[in-house]
Amino acid sequence: MPRFGMFPAAFGLFDRGSTLKPFEYLAPDTVDEAVAILTDNAPDARLLAGGTDYLVELKHASEVPKVVVDVSGISEFKGIELTDKGLRFGSGVTHTEIMESDLVAEHALAMQEAALTIGAVQTRNLGTLGGNLVTCVPSVDSGPVLIALDAAVTITGSKGIRIMPLLDFFVGPRKTALEPDELLVDIVIPKEMLGRGCSFRKFGLRKGQALALVNTCASIDLDAGKLADVRIALGAVAPTVIRAVKAEKLLNGKAPSDDLFAEAGDMAATEAKPINDFRASAGYRLDLIRTGTKRVLAEALERAPR
Amino acid sequence: MDVTIKVNGRERTASVAAETTLLSLLRDSLDLPGAKLGCDVGDCGACTVLVDGMSVNACLMLAAQVQDRDVTTIEGLGDYDHLHPLQAVFEQESSFQCGFCAPGMIISAKALLDENPKPTEYEIREALSGNLCRCTGYTKIIEAIMDVSGQSASHADSKSA
Repeated sequence: MPRFGMFPAAFGLFDRGSTLKPFEYLAPDTVDEAVAILTDNAPDARLLAGGTDYLVELKHASEVPKVVVDVSGISEFKGIELTDKGLRFGSGVTHTEIMESDLVAEHALAMQEAALTIGAVQTRNLGTLGGNLVTCVPSVDSGPVLIALDAAVTITGSKGIRIMPLLDFFVGPRKTALEPDELLVDIVIPKEMLGRGCSFRKFGLRKGQALALVNTCASIDLDAGKLADVRIALGAVAPTVIRAVKAEKLLNGKAPSDDLFAEAGDMAATEAKPINDFRASAGYRLDLIRTGTKRVLAEALERAPR
Repeated sequence: MDVTIKVNGRERTASVAAETTLLSLLRDSLDLPGAKLGCDVGDCGACTVLVDGMSVNACLMLAAQVQDRDVTTIEGLGDYDHLHPLQAVFEQESSFQCGFCAPGMIISAKALLDENPKPTEYEIREALSGNLCRCTGYTKIIEAIMDVSGQSASHADSKSA
């Protein structure tokens, strides 16, 4: 459910205490149990993790599912750890846990920058990384950094486990690659992406509780002083998070400079399809892409190991 | 279903429907109306309570999710005769007017001070960014928190909120 600022409060004046419609609540302890519940009840079962989006959606929904499956107690979804594949985030990790993790600070600092822009303290304490990704709004704040760091997601379901790039997991607004009987288990930033120069910037109408007008993230490597394997991810400017591949191509193999970064920002703006809405015009969003891309590239360069 | 929680140090049990929120459990079943129903979507912070010491919007949790957990509401901080230092300082500094946001503000301030006893003004603003006040403004609230944490509170600037 998109968060329409204070509008729900205004509606609330006329609709006091219109709370949740009846559903059955199940809280499995393991992934296998959760898959079994989903398989038995699909498509009339939905997952609840942090609840910061989904409970809001349920409160405003005309129909609710028969079963709400609370996955917040599943231990396999917890924890941030360094494995032989890379930095692994359980899908149930909260934004607060990301902000407080020394591992994330050391290996993927931009993840903390993104987490800090989400909601406010109370919503970050409850809201999960997996929930943020599965909700899959165009402005998803965790998406750009993970895509700029080439993250992969692990999905499990009745037909087994599959792993795919996060970029493919985002199918459209509020539409992921998850089948009705599947769950997101974890998100892994591959080893070779850890510690590279990476920067994230969100533009919102204010700092707290704001949806992104534009999200920008860049990650880079340096090879003998030249830019290498640049990845630029943009959010809230297309149906899903996108990579600015033409801008990346423009940068790869060249010596970094402010002029080059500005040129890349202009190129990135040509790759996005922002909309006009009540938060900002498409033209303003294009300006933010130009400015934001330039800035995150400059900051990613400062942070790149030489 | 029966839900048992430890609230303000006391174990309480209530029989509620599965779709009951934590906020409704507290207000309607446990007679603890301190946490307020404001926006009901997690924007305003008037329903802020602590669950295992962590601040959350009680409107965004189901009662079933706090089974066997430790909940602190504004009623658990102090009473009329023995105000918690945060309650006392909010009163001294006239930090609230209508008072609707105050329970959430004070709980968020408590969560902050429990982790960070001497926050900067910026840290206070960040910690309160999930709590909206529509009458007094934030200046006096921030001054109160600076004051109770033993810091000078003379230059809270409402313009940078």
